[in-house]
Amino acid sequence: MQGLLSFDQAPPFTAPLRFFLSAPVFALLAGLILVWDGPSLLASRWTPGALAVTHLLTVGFMLQAMLGALIQVLPVVAGVNLAQPLAISRWLHVALSGGAVLLSSGFYFASASLLITGGIVLGVSVLGFLVVVVPPLSRTPSTSPTIRGLKMAMSGLFGVAALGVVLALAVANGWSIPLLSLTDLHASWGFAAWGGILLAAMAYVVVPMFQLTPGYPARLSWWYPGLLLAGVVLASLSVWFEVPGIGQLAQGMLSFLGIAFCAFTMHLQLKRRRARADTTFRYWQLGLACTIFALFLSLTATFWPALAEYNELPLLLGVLLIVGGFVPLIVGMLYKIIPFLAWLHLQNLGGGKLPAPAMHKILGEKEMNGQMGSHALALVFLLGAVLLPELARVAGLLFVMANLLLLWNLSRASWRYRQQSKLMREQLAQL
Amino acid sequence: MTAIRSLMTEDHRHCDDLFADAELAVGKKDSQAAKACFEHFQQAMLAHFDAEEKTLFPTFEAKTGMSMGPTQVMRMEHAQIRVLMDEALQALVLNQFDDYLGYADTLVIMMQQHNMKEENMLYPMCDQHLSGETPELLARLETELNVA
Repeated sequence: MQGLLSFDQAPPFTAPLRFFLSAPVFALLAGLILVWDGPSLLASRWTPGALAVTHLLTVGFMLQAMLGALIQVLPVVAGVNLAQPLAISRWLHVALSGGAVLLSSGFYFASASLLITGGIVLGVSVLGFLVVVVPPLSRTPSTSPTIRGLKMAMSGLFGVAALGVVLALAVANGWSIPLLSLTDLHASWGFAAWGGILLAAMAYVVVPMFQLTPGYPARLSWWYPGLLLAGVVLASLSVWFEVPGIGQLAQGMLSFLGIAFCAFTMHLQLKRRRARADTTFRYWQLGLACTIFALFLSLTATFWPALAEYNELPLLLGVLLIVGGFVPLIVGMLYKIIPFLAWLHLQNLGGGKLPAPAMHKILGEKEMNGQMGSHALALVFLLGAVLLPELARVAGLLFVMANLLLLWNLSRASWRYRQQSKLMREQLAQL
Repeated sequence: MTAIRSLMTEDHRHCDDLFADAELAVGKKDSQAAKACFEHFQQAMLAHFDAEEKTLFPTFEAKTGMSMGPTQVMRMEHAQIRVLMDEALQALVLNQFDDYLGYADTLVIMMQQHNMKEENMLYPMCDQHLSGETPELLARLETELNVA
């Protein structure tokens, strides 16, 4: 019931849009750091530059886009209405952006005070989001695998943020805790329990919706988020009780589950019934292929110690999962969500008296395709740079370019929306 | 009882199939077939909307007393979908494939999220509240859906 009415109560466009527009800025900053530092950044996953870039992308880009999208999507898919979506978006956006900059600066300049401040600001932002979202979400009955997945993703978000805060404080204060295994665990919570579950829950809805594919099988999609969460909990127990064997098993299980999900989604997408392969479809194929490749490497490394000890492996996995996997999947969705929301809000503004421009007038296929090509090129060079660090600066430049284009595309869509709504208001006033 | 939900959901899938036929024809740049398929899809959609607006929704509103609630939102979305279908068909008539794809993109998302709300929320509510009337109501709905 709530969900039905929520169509009217969709949050104002500026609530999610601010997150979407600032996400590329953080990716842009990450690219600039790579250009500035050059090959030395890629010496290991622990260099100050690599840590800063990782968090600019995961917090500044990914988390930003994910939470912004949730504010929009929760009323539609779960019937969860937030009391003050615009007010929540405002403070969350400022806090997340500030936290991402502080934390990344803390890593980059090896500053304990910046690390602590950044960690705490981000911890408080995530906690604030959870305090607002979890009570209404938990009151919603789990009538679909998506709602159930969203609930589980919230525990994943709590886990990754809590571990992140502990790690930031530990590094800053020199606490003696097992940094290596806790960092790996932090990544598992982030990629599997938060990102993976959220992605699956959203894919159940958007893959059939955008591409007219058959749906995911009901029973599998019901159990999948729980299996991911169980894998991450198992990995956590192995760290807590210091039983690395179980940790390896859990990592293997998570990689396998991820591969299975991506492969199945690709299979569904091949059965799509739309007239053409659009940018979103291509971005998803890229994202799914890279994730499968990353998880295949990770799975192989679990059983083949020589690969696990390969120094470049973590960087390779990071580039594949983030720049090759999550970012393309997210941008692919943004390229549908932003034009659709623009159309929807304009349509509501016109109130049946004035027509609203369809999605392709807000953001054209050519603009999106060009940006995707530039992202794919940057990805190839980034992967190359992990193996041949001399390519680092070129890769960084190409990545900056791809994100400038993304920022340009999204800003232009937002500008066209504003122009059009101004025009329509004037026309309505004259009616 | 899930009789209403099953019947109406099945008809959504039927409309999706007809839309997919039009998309396939557009993919092959066969404008004659595309136009014919799209018209067929539009007829089925309009019959579906009519069955809802003239039979299902009024029965639901009379029984529950909720006339400004979910059914009103659904009517509004029907109106938006009607406009998008007209625009898409117009683009096909004028052989403007790129424009068609843009309208179709908007139409697909609008239609799918609309169907989702009906299938997951409104139809189950109908099944719950209208269990007494179901056999006659189903017969009427079926006749109206079969017009297309």
